[in-house]
Amino acid sequence: MAKGNHKKIRGRSHNLLEHYQPIDGVVDEMVDASGNPRPVWKDFIEALEELGPEKLAQRFARADQYLRDAGVYYRVYDKAGANEREWPLAHVPLLIEDQEWAAISAGLVQRAELFEETIADIYGPNRLVEKGILPPGLIAASPEYLRPVVGTRPASGHFLHFCAFELGRGPDGRWWVLGDRTQAPSGAGFALENRVATTRALSDIYGEMHVHRLAGFFRRFRDALNGMAKVSGGRVAILTPGPLNETYYEHAYIARYLGIMLLEGEDLTVSGGRLMVRTVSGLMPVSVLWRRLDAAFADPLELRPESQIGTPGLVEAIRMGAVSAVNALGSGLMETRAMSAFLPKISRELRNEGLLLPSVATWWCGRDADRDHVLANLDRMVIGPALSTRLAFEDDDSTRLGSALVAGERAELIARIERDGGGFVGQEAVTLSTTPVYVGGWLEPRPAALRVYLARTAEGWTVMPGGFARVGFSLDPTAIAMQRGGQAADVWVVSDRPVERETLLPQEHDTFTRTLPGSLPSRAAENLTWLGRYIERSEDTVRILRAYHVRLAEASDPDMPLLADIRDYLEPFGIDVETAIPPGLIGTLDSAVYSAGQIRDRFSPDGWLALKDLSKTIHQFATTVAPGDDATRAMTVILRKLAGFSGLLHENMYRFTGWRFLEIGRRLERGIQIARTLARLTRAAAPDGALDMMLEIGDSVMTHRRQYPVQAGRRTVIDLLVLDPLNPRSILFQLERLKAEIALLPAVGGEGHMSPAAKEILQLNTAIAIKEPSDMTAPALADLANEIGGLYNSLAKSYFG
Amino acid sequence: MLYDIRLKLRYDYDAAAGGGRHQVRVLPPTVSGVQRVIAASLSFAPAPSERSDFSDFFGNNVTSIAFRDVHDALDIRMSARVAVSRPEPGLDVSPDIRRLREELDAVRSLSPDTPHHFLAASDHAGIDAAITAYARSSAGNSAVSTAMDLCNRIYRDFTYDGEATTVQTRASDAFDLKRGVCQDFSHIMIAGLRGLGVPAGYVSGFLRTIPPRGKPRLEGADAMHAWVKVWCGRDTGWQEFDPTNGMRASNDHITVGHGRDYSDVAPIVGVLKTTGGQVGEQAVDVIPVVLEKA
Repeated sequence: MAKGNHKKIRGRSHNLLEHYQPIDGVVDEMVDASGNPRPVWKDFIEALEELGPEKLAQRFARADQYLRDAGVYYRVYDKAGANEREWPLAHVPLLIEDQEWAAISAGLVQRAELFEETIADIYGPNRLVEKGILPPGLIAASPEYLRPVVGTRPASGHFLHFCAFELGRGPDGRWWVLGDRTQAPSGAGFALENRVATTRALSDIYGEMHVHRLAGFFRRFRDALNGMAKVSGGRVAILTPGPLNETYYEHAYIARYLGIMLLEGEDLTVSGGRLMVRTVSGLMPVSVLWRRLDAAFADPLELRPESQIGTPGLVEAIRMGAVSAVNALGSGLMETRAMSAFLPKISRELRNEGLLLPSVATWWCGRDADRDHVLANLDRMVIGPALSTRLAFEDDDSTRLGSALVAGERAELIARIERDGGGFVGQEAVTLSTTPVYVGGWLEPRPAALRVYLARTAEGWTVMPGGFARVGFSLDPTAIAMQRGGQAADVWVVSDRPVERETLLPQEHDTFTRTLPGSLPSRAAENLTWLGRYIERSEDTVRILRAYHVRLAEASDPDMPLLADIRDYLEPFGIDVETAIPPGLIGTLDSAVYSAGQIRDRFSPDGWLALKDLSKTIHQFATTVAPGDDATRAMTVILRKLAGFSGLLHENMYRFTGWRFLEIGRRLERGIQIARTLARLTRAAAPDGALDMMLEIGDSVMTHRRQYPVQAGRRTVIDLLVLDPLNPRSILFQLERLKAEIALLPAVGGEGHMSPAAKEILQLNTAIAIKEPSDMTAPALADLANEIGGLYNSLAKSYFG
Repeated sequence: MLYDIRLKLRYDYDAAAGGGRHQVRVLPPTVSGVQRVIAASLSFAPAPSERSDFSDFFGNNVTSIAFRDVHDALDIRMSARVAVSRPEPGLDVSPDIRRLREELDAVRSLSPDTPHHFLAASDHAGIDAAITAYARSSAGNSAVSTAMDLCNRIYRDFTYDGEATTVQTRASDAFDLKRGVCQDFSHIMIAGLRGLGVPAGYVSGFLRTIPPRGKPRLEGADAMHAWVKVWCGRDTGWQEFDPTNGMRASNDHITVGHGRDYSDVAPIVGVLKTTGGQVGEQAVDVIPVVLEKA
């Protein structure tokens, strides 16, 4: 071994490779067998070394900061349940030279085309089965073989539109396909985020090296989806299983990045054989569905009946050719592990050519010769379930390394294979190549697998020039799964010539079209309204609590009438003032976070961060803050953060329909809260000091002082907080805003007709505008709170149904 | 035999259901060599806002209906005239299980009636070690004798009990209970045969009940029924057995659907947007028709 020789040749102050010890017999991506950096890595390593350990640490921290700021997370499932985890970025990208990449691309395009032909045959004429190339029993047993779509030709003409392949480099230096992703491949959005984060850290190096850009890939695929939709005159939508899915972040991210609607199953309905999205403007056709949920869950009527996330009737709409699914339902069949055993023959049969990129050698034990081979070579094999669609290295429960079996297990496994061969595949155990990670100031080798994405365009398959590498946490090659502590690294495809700089923005020569307005899904509108309500409700509660704790801190008697009155007032709303930060208040804010979490695609990362920060603060306060003075200060902090969040929304959100629902939610809630609190604090029997407290809660102390040269009396307080159209805290002000925003909502019951909500708010607004302070008795105020609340029901009926 | 069949299904909802989409599988099909449908009709009350009829993968008649308006009950009525004429079982020339396996491997097709669809575990009829062990003592010299023996043993060893199980019950649970209804017995027999490597499927339909001597036929007293079809090799093909009655399917068995298990042929599936529960009723009449000689 001549490794480490370069140390002497290169006399740098900080030699990153000093501790770099590739494993014997394993290819390393960065250094060759003699320990010298490969050409594509040379400049890169030198640039890192020039930066030195301190700067590097700063740079990498910058990447992590970006990911935290952008709120990139994924979900892990462990014994403690599902949790959001920060995205584990391995800061050093995997570098691949673009000629080698061209060979990988050609192999993967060939594979995607072969898969398309294979899947079309399995769901169509079945010649591969007839000729004895594919065993019918294997297909019939697969849960991914979906009988309700057998015989259906996809409306788009193709089954596959977006695929991912998992690659590893073997000891002979060749790339192997470890797994195929044809169902609903995830990670393309994370690849983009990896790129953004990595270039935050290494922008200068990235700028100098000729690294292929990723944006063009996404632009071409978006155009392809829009092209498909244009033909049939419907919309494109991304279908997600929802916020609890492990990669929901990515679904929302891609939707935002590409400007495509993000929908859940319940947003969709089938009507007259067409797939429709429920929007605030009524039902709108969807003709291209980029699904991120597994096909089996797509329609409880014809697929898994227990699915809560599907759309009844979707399969029928697909059979009728009304919608193209990306990928077609049933495409997941190609992920079946045993399928790899048949690919070489299928390729010969269908295309009369060999595979440019082979799969890991696979034997299906349902064939006698294969079974005998597997049993004879058990020590070199990974044995797993034939129908599994999981990657071998992600599936340690049911997939076993032959050489790692103890005697009893071994005998048992052999017996099972002999009894039910068709249930098992043996795959050659692969050793992955290693790539460097930065650990404590040095580079160290770690096993890596590469995920590459392909998208179908009108011109054929296009390959994302890059992707995402999964890098092991330790030298154990099974430890690269993200669920088990693996990391993700960016992949740089490096050219020796300048590359095209692409962005997602339209080019000079592109024609541009405005997206049709008014396609806000009803569920999103409902969540936006509730987000507005919860935020406002939190604010109103915090204002009352602050006024309470200020007085509590100064009061000699905690049972003085005003304090007792507030206690009694808040109690039915689940707010217990004995606790400085009442669980009821935390619950309201958690609900705001939940509502926002349902619509992350419509939400700026800044807004989301502000909300998460707010939530973190209040949960922290809950454990530390004491009633009285301490609580007063805490409430002030919370108010300031709430104001920051509201300001972000108010200043930065485009005034599209979604914003209107958010605004309506806020105004509704504020109207209700003010009316309710006024009814309490201005009632005849209200305790001393109630009116001053009301002004404080209504943030109108100074205004009152300026407007009225008298002490606060019932009339002046009502005048200012109910009837003053210029006071942004008055009820009339809320009603005016509601009237204006409701009038701008999509028409209901025909253009030019007033919606029920519009009629109600007009009546209410007029009735209040002509009132005198003396009319606004406590019971009248309580009624008003209910009437404003009733508006929500009218809106819900018209828009959220 | 010629039958007039009437089926009435009724669902009452606690709370009015807004919208809803269902698939209904109750119309008997013509099955070559077994039965011929002379006339059939299916109606719904209230009338659905959408309706379409199609054949599913296994060739079952499916009616897909959707309701836009709120309704608090659904009434389904099917009537059909069906002629059933099954061939007498011939001499048993079916292979034993080992040879059956070879004949199975030689079937290079995925068309809906090929045995391949009926060998793997399915939701309700999963392959289960205990059921397979139970079935193994029926394994005999031929597929037909194996199936017949298993059918008879289930008939003897299990207790008919309408309260013990539900439509959701899986074969393994019913097997542990040693009781159930036609659906459970069929699932157990299917699971057992699959465990032995014999393809087996689920048949749903109607059974004519013969009233006790001297008693009149009770209106609506017949019931939907289920039994088992077994692939008995290349030459013998599919044979049907009724483990609830310990017999082969006869001319009193009228077929409605075929599938891997109950979930492929459930008479109604669908999702309701309702907050309350729902109650179902069914009434079946299977009336033999005697054609007057002119």
